[in-house]
Amino acid sequence: MKSNLYVLGYAAVLGTVCALLLTASANFTAPYIADNARAEEVLNILAALNVPFQADASSEQLLEIFNTNVREQSREGITIYEYSLPQSKGKPEAVAVRFSGPGLWGPIKGFLALESDMKTIRGITFYEQEETPGLGGEIVSPAFREQFIGKSIVGEDGKAGIVIRRSGGKAARNEVDAITGATMTCDKVEAMLNAVIKNIAGKKSKIKVQNVK
Amino acid sequence: MANNQPPACLSCGAKGPCGGKGLLTLKDGVWTSNPLAIQILGICSALAVSNRLENSLVMGAALIFVCVGSNLLVSLLRNRTPHRIRMIAEVAIIATFVILFDQFLKAFYWDMSKQLGPYVGLIITNCIVMGRAEAFALQNPPLLSMVDGAANGLGYAAALAIIGLFREILGTGEVMGYPVLAGEWYTPNQLMILAPGAFFTLGVVIAVFNIFKGQETAEKK
Repeated sequence: MKSNLYVLGYAAVLGTVCALLLTASANFTAPYIADNARAEEVLNILAALNVPFQADASSEQLLEIFNTNVREQSREGITIYEYSLPQSKGKPEAVAVRFSGPGLWGPIKGFLALESDMKTIRGITFYEQEETPGLGGEIVSPAFREQFIGKSIVGEDGKAGIVIRRSGGKAARNEVDAITGATMTCDKVEAMLNAVIKNIAGKKSKIKVQNVK
Repeated sequence: MANNQPPACLSCGAKGPCGGKGLLTLKDGVWTSNPLAIQILGICSALAVSNRLENSLVMGAALIFVCVGSNLLVSLLRNRTPHRIRMIAEVAIIATFVILFDQFLKAFYWDMSKQLGPYVGLIITNCIVMGRAEAFALQNPPLLSMVDGAANGLGYAAALAIIGLFREILGTGEVMGYPVLAGEWYTPNQLMILAPGAFFTLGVVIAVFNIFKGQETAEKK
C-alpha cells in the first residue's frame, strides 16, 4: 500500500506533465486553428452576402476575395460587413451583421445579410450550431435558409421583426416556415434574429445616412 | 496459464521484446476479440461517424494513435501508479492523447474536424481505450502493450472502414467522393447515411464476423 503522500505526489506530477504537454500543443496549433476559424467566418459572410466565389476556393483565396469586396466597420456599436461592387463607388450593394444566441444544446451563431435598402433579406448563414441533427440541425439546410431570401424584416404593420411561423396558410412578407419537430430551435433563432433586427432598426437612421453618402 | 502458453511470435521468438506474444496479441485485437464486432465496444462513435469511408478512416487513425500512446504510457507507469487512483491516471493519460489528436485535426484538417464534430473528443470515454489500459497495459510490458493498442485500434478501424465503405456506396453511390454506383439505374438510398443504416450495417458486420469465428472454433474442436 502506497502512502497518501505518494498518491498525492503522483497525481500532482502526472497532472502537471499532462497539462504541460497540452499547453505546448495548444500554443503550437493556436495560430493554425485561428486561421481556419477566420476562413470559416469569412466564408459565411461571403455566402450570406451572396458574393460570388468558387466552391473549392482555398482559405487564402477566400480572404483575398473578402478583403477586396467587403469592408468591416463598426457603427453605433454594431459591427457591419459592407459589400460594394468596384464600379459602384463605395455605395454598398449589401450589408451583413452577425447574430448569436443560445440554441437548444449550445450557442447558435450566424450572419444575416440585407440589401442596401436595409429592409430586404439577401441571405442568411449559420456558422456555429449544435442543434439536434435532423431536426433543429436543419436550420443550416439550404431549404430552410433560402426561404429568407427576399423577405422583409418589417412586417405588414410596419413593425420591425421576423416571424418563423408554425401554422399553415400564406406567409406574410416577414414570415418564413418553421421546421417541424424543431420548435425550440426555431423559437430561439427567431428571438436572436429579432434582437439583431431591433438593434439595426433602432440605429437605422445613423447607418443609412452614412450609406447614402 | 502455464499449460496454455501461446505460440512464439514468428519474427522475434520467445526471447523477443514482446516475450513471444506479439503475433497472438495482434491477432486477438484485430480478429479473435475484435473490439467492435466481437466485444461490441465503442458502438456510439462507430454508428455516428461511419457514414463515409473517409470519416471512418480518420476516426480509426485517431483510435490507433490514442490506444498505442495510452497503452504505452500506462504500461510504463504500471509499477509506479498507486492502485487507488489508477483509473483517474488512465483517464488523464487517455484524455491528453485525445486532445492532442483533436488539436492536430483542428489545425490541419479543419473540414474533417468539423465533420467528426464532438466524436473525436468523445474517444476519451470510449470503452475500448479504457478497457485496453485497464485489462492489458496494467499487467504487461510496454512494447507488448503498444502492440495490443495498435491491434485493437486496427480492429476498430477495420470494422469501421467496412461499415463506412458499405454505407457510403449504398447511401451516396460514391467511394471517397468518386462515383461508383453512379448510373441512371441506381438511386442512392438515403437510409444508409442516416442512423438506421448504421445499425443495419453494423448488425451485418457483427453477424459475418461471428459466422467466421464460429467456423474457426468449430474446426478447433
